[in-house]
Amino acid sequence: MALIEVTNLKYRYPHTENLALDGIDFKVEKGQFIGIAGENKAGKSTLCQAFAGLVPTMFRGAYGGKLLIDGAEAAKTPIAELCQKVGLVFQNPFNQLSGAKDTVFEEIAFGLQNLGIPREEIFKRVEENLKLLDIEEYRDRNPFDLSGGQTQRVAIASILAMEPQVIVLDEPTSQLDPQGSEEVFRVVEKLAKTGITIIMVEQKMEKLASYCDKILLLHKGKQIAYDTPERIFSRDDLEELGVKPPVYTQVCRALEVSRIEGEDRLYPVTLAQMERLRDQFPPTLTGRTFVNGEQEIDGQEVFQIQDLKFHYLPDIPVIEHLDLCLDARPTAIIGQNGAGKTTLVKLLKGLLKPNAGNIFFEDEDISQKTVAQLAGKVGYVFQNPDDQIFKNRVMEEVMVGPLNLGKSREEAQKLAADALEMVGLTDAAEENPYDLDLSERKMVAIASVVAMDTKVLILDEPTIAQDANGRVVLGRIVQTLSKKGKFVLAILHDMDFVAEYFERVIIMAHGKVLSDGLGEKVFYEKESLLKARLEQPHTTRLCERLGYEGAFLTAEDMKV
Amino acid sequence: MKSISLYVDKDTCLTRLHPFAKMFYILAAVSAPLIGGALWIYGLFLAISLCLLISGKIIRKVFPLIAFSFTIIITIFLIHGLFNQENQKVLFHLGPLAFYEEGLLYAARIGLNILNMLLAFATFVLTTKPADLVDDLEQAGFSPRFGYMISSVFQIIPQMMGTMNTIMDAQRSRGMETEGSLFVRAKAFIPLISPVVSSSLINTRERAIALEVRGFDSKNKKTFLREHKLAGKDKTFMLLMALLIAGSIVWRVLTWL
Repeated sequence: MALIEVTNLKYRYPHTENLALDGIDFKVEKGQFIGIAGENKAGKSTLCQAFAGLVPTMFRGAYGGKLLIDGAEAAKTPIAELCQKVGLVFQNPFNQLSGAKDTVFEEIAFGLQNLGIPREEIFKRVEENLKLLDIEEYRDRNPFDLSGGQTQRVAIASILAMEPQVIVLDEPTSQLDPQGSEEVFRVVEKLAKTGITIIMVEQKMEKLASYCDKILLLHKGKQIAYDTPERIFSRDDLEELGVKPPVYTQVCRALEVSRIEGEDRLYPVTLAQMERLRDQFPPTLTGRTFVNGEQEIDGQEVFQIQDLKFHYLPDIPVIEHLDLCLDARPTAIIGQNGAGKTTLVKLLKGLLKPNAGNIFFEDEDISQKTVAQLAGKVGYVFQNPDDQIFKNRVMEEVMVGPLNLGKSREEAQKLAADALEMVGLTDAAEENPYDLDLSERKMVAIASVVAMDTKVLILDEPTIAQDANGRVVLGRIVQTLSKKGKFVLAILHDMDFVAEYFERVIIMAHGKVLSDGLGEKVFYEKESLLKARLEQPHTTRLCERLGYEGAFLTAEDMKV
Repeated sequence: MKSISLYVDKDTCLTRLHPFAKMFYILAAVSAPLIGGALWIYGLFLAISLCLLISGKIIRKVFPLIAFSFTIIITIFLIHGLFNQENQKVLFHLGPLAFYEEGLLYAARIGLNILNMLLAFATFVLTTKPADLVDDLEQAGFSPRFGYMISSVFQIIPQMMGTMNTIMDAQRSRGMETEGSLFVRAKAFIPLISPVVSSSLINTRERAIALEVRGFDSKNKKTFLREHKLAGKDKTFMLLMALLIAGSIVWRVLTWL
């Protein structure tokens, strides 16, 4: 008998009409690594909650079919019992904290204490997991004082330490820097090798393809397919399902590199599989033309930062002696968790005041102005959308900014409607923002700042929780605003997205700029990337591995 | 995150003393003078409290508390010294005001009581980590739910203050003036209330779910990270306090006879 058996599972949330899960049916063997893919609202998170018994025990609603885990029926087992078999890592790591423990160490121990694990064993397991997730240095810190990426590590450690047979992870690496998320995948894979079963929702298809045994493809609550990554990503209907295959597969499709198995044409989904088909690739590709030296800055200076210094605690400097000039080109700031990226943009927005040095915005020193006075010029979208949503209606929410800036109601309404259209939420204008899911709330937050029509738009990790379609919408916003002469500055962990939409790339590490320039240049500075725990975009890595000369950042660059 | 607990992190005998022993001290310091009935017993416990506070190196932290309590105590002296019902014998005049002996004695009793309790509680609160206390209470048989309630207050209130700052940042980012005169700041405070409350409510629900998947409702017996039994010196200390209470009873009986 398989470890997990899902038979015709159906579920509907209370007070809704559509089924969130509709006829899910699959089996998982012990020690398998299963990925779940699908666009937003496909039912991925709901399915995760069904594994942990939260659906239906906590959320109520209508439930049908069966979900058996090691012989126990998830819907009928008390969660406290089920949690010893199934561990769930939430999508939002801040929500996973117990809220009763002062230190990271105790936070990780919390679940183990509840389960009555012997003390020596608890100490041993907590130590192991602190090491495994590279958070030993934060062991005595308060979990609420950590950055998003650090909290995510604590959340994962706290579930891993409980050593359940099945671990369900709902986008566990959304807030992590590229190398951090690679580490999480490696840890999880190692667990799978020791016989622990893994079920993971993820938007990073390249990772799913290289680590998963099988992928469950969902769409609008229905199960579309359950098969190997190769077969899933070779499907022709992926675009309609709102899923973008791994970059490798996209490239192979464009270059017609494939193999035939039975009656099916299969495209490679990982680097390793691509290398096996090396002989099918064309001998040379053109790629982008390398620009040697710095490109001319077209004189539109927006921010001028001089000898900037900032710290939260006097003995721990976050930013030291930073000099930087930002012009109107769309610019991405990349770097590891805790590099000072968010701190820097908060300084630009005036939310934090520098300890030394100056920031000039259009030749005016911003330290002389209040945040509200700058609001009409510099827009900032917070990392966590829940921090900036105040109203009960999406339309009202988006109108707050323009109204504060002194626009009339009609004008504000017009601006808000335009902004909502831009993020693709025109239909949600009358809904309560809290009823929308995380990806949509992020879009509402972006619209509410775009509606203020500011000269500068700062985005703090906008791609979190966005599916393929959401990323395209975001990319279009960046392009449209840039064309209008606005300055878009974004903090990002998604290198492919940076490569595709941003002209200038700045690598930050420990409050300093390691590298700064055009994407074509920065993404080939391997030493800086490594130091900042970053990775090259997938296409770049792929072309290097295949030995092509030239600069390649996106799949479109690979022209014969 | 700023802590709202008053605990001062110092490695002293007093900090290491078991929370129950310190609680027993509060019991002794409050009950003995009431039982004994004599003013000098207050003096004795005030002296003990001060000695404990000095040995715990936290006497400086107590000064503001004492200063604050004096404002209350002085008011009590004024009211009772001048207007107590029982007032008969004039003790002294201060300008046109006549102070009476009965009232002043009564006020002295209340004043000493306040000061005594304040210092006794200070020895406990300033030297006990809330988390340790909760842990010890749970080990002594209180339910983990009760323990969670107490410790979460110490986490959630600072967290709410954090949320408030973030929401304030978000509001001024969107053009609402929050800096400047008192009036501007007061006006900016009102629109904060509803988002802070609603985000806290949503957090509560999320937290309940988080606790569930961490086995909070598990039937298994909870493990404690550190065993904290009453040590020899804790017991000696408590015995001493018990003797003081017994002594005050004896004193009461003797004076009564």
